[in-house]
Amino acid sequence: MEIEIITFGKIAEFIHKQQLDCSGIADTDGLKVMLEKAYPALANMKYKLALNRNIVQDNLPIQNLDSVAIMPPFSGG
Amino acid sequence: MEQERYHRQTILDKFGQENQLKLKRAKVLVIGAGGLGCPVLQYLAAMGVGVIGIADDDHIALSNLHRQVLYSTSDVGKLKVSQAAMRLKEMNPEIEIISHHLRLNSNNILGILTPYDFIFDGTDNFETRYLINDCCALLKKPLVFAAVSAYEGQLAIFNTPDENGLATNYRDLFPIAPKPGEIANCEENGVLGVLPGIIGSMAAAEIVKLITGIGKPLINKLLHYNLLTNEQYVLHINKGIDYQLPKTENEILQTADSFVEINIEQLTALKLQSSTLLVDVRETHELPLLNTSDFKKAPMSSFEDFLDSDIAAKDIVLICQHGIRSQAAAEALHEKYGAAKNIFSLKGGIVKWKNYFS
Repeated sequence: MEIEIITFGKIAEFIHKQQLDCSGIADTDGLKVMLEKAYPALANMKYKLALNRNIVQDNLPIQNLDSVAIMPPFSGG
Repeated sequence: MEQERYHRQTILDKFGQENQLKLKRAKVLVIGAGGLGCPVLQYLAAMGVGVIGIADDDHIALSNLHRQVLYSTSDVGKLKVSQAAMRLKEMNPEIEIISHHLRLNSNNILGILTPYDFIFDGTDNFETRYLINDCCALLKKPLVFAAVSAYEGQLAIFNTPDENGLATNYRDLFPIAPKPGEIANCEENGVLGVLPGIIGSMAAAEIVKLITGIGKPLINKLLHYNLLTNEQYVLHINKGIDYQLPKTENEILQTADSFVEINIEQLTALKLQSSTLLVDVRETHELPLLNTSDFKKAPMSSFEDFLDSDIAAKDIVLICQHGIRSQAAAEALHEKYGAAKNIFSLKGGIVKWKNYFS
């Protein structure tokens, strides 16, 4: 199973936009665990996932060819 | 109302005199007269928004000018609200400009926000952004949110019901505020001058759309813009499940700041009091070196030792290079002492006030 990962801001500096093989990952909670293990810097940051352009508030199932965006907060004015 | 001034927009299909009148009757508060605030103020004033409030406590610095295009080199050192108000009145004498020379905090914010119909958040720190968000949610004020970082920007509209009656707020995106220093701001991270101009202009357009009802404003959507690629990415926001907003005005008042950010004049005044301790939290190798009889050295790497020591002073001012680490130190002191001590952090740090420290 393959999904598209789209990243923004500081997160894009260490997780590049990519097609990610996430076989064995069933849902967004599982994806978070996988990402934070692969990219420990992510675990120390505030971020929000969006699945197919919808903000993820609760755990959602992931399907082949889904796109997942990882958005950090910006504070600059 | 001068007909000629607004002629080019009143002749527009779907705009007309009717929407021009709506602009004239609108009251918009712009919080932060910085990189984002400048273009928002300029366009709202030019287009004829009847009452525009400006809330800011900062002075104009030379390093602001590459992006804060309301100000001139000769304005450096002057108050942003005063200079902005003067320029806007020159630009459009038909409208009312109200200056609020202050930093919004939990004590003053409700009174400032209440008279306005629409709030724009163009501030530069999470503490104020969360306070503005929570108050706008409580008061049910439409909030246009904009933020920038390096080459990227975010824009959203909160507290405004969509066609299904759903109204979201910033905590639906990020329920808990990042700690001081967790996310870099413009001062630390940098920002390309034109970026807040683009995002601020888009924000001004969204405010005008909200006031007049034209088009489809970004209600319950987060627009992300990347200047380098010109790509826009829009996310749909729905209600979060893992946060609580203050439900009463008293709850806002009780979230009083754990520490206060101050400028150099306030530091100078505090320094004159015998009850004040000034603390430099930079590491020992960092320059410029400060007179240790005036500034006690307590580097962040061993700040625990300072926390464990007995501190007699009632007022504690923390300083560092950019005013970020000093906020973390201020939080730590607040956790230990609560309301027993007054804790301050020098905003912008030694770099911002280098003339004072050199």
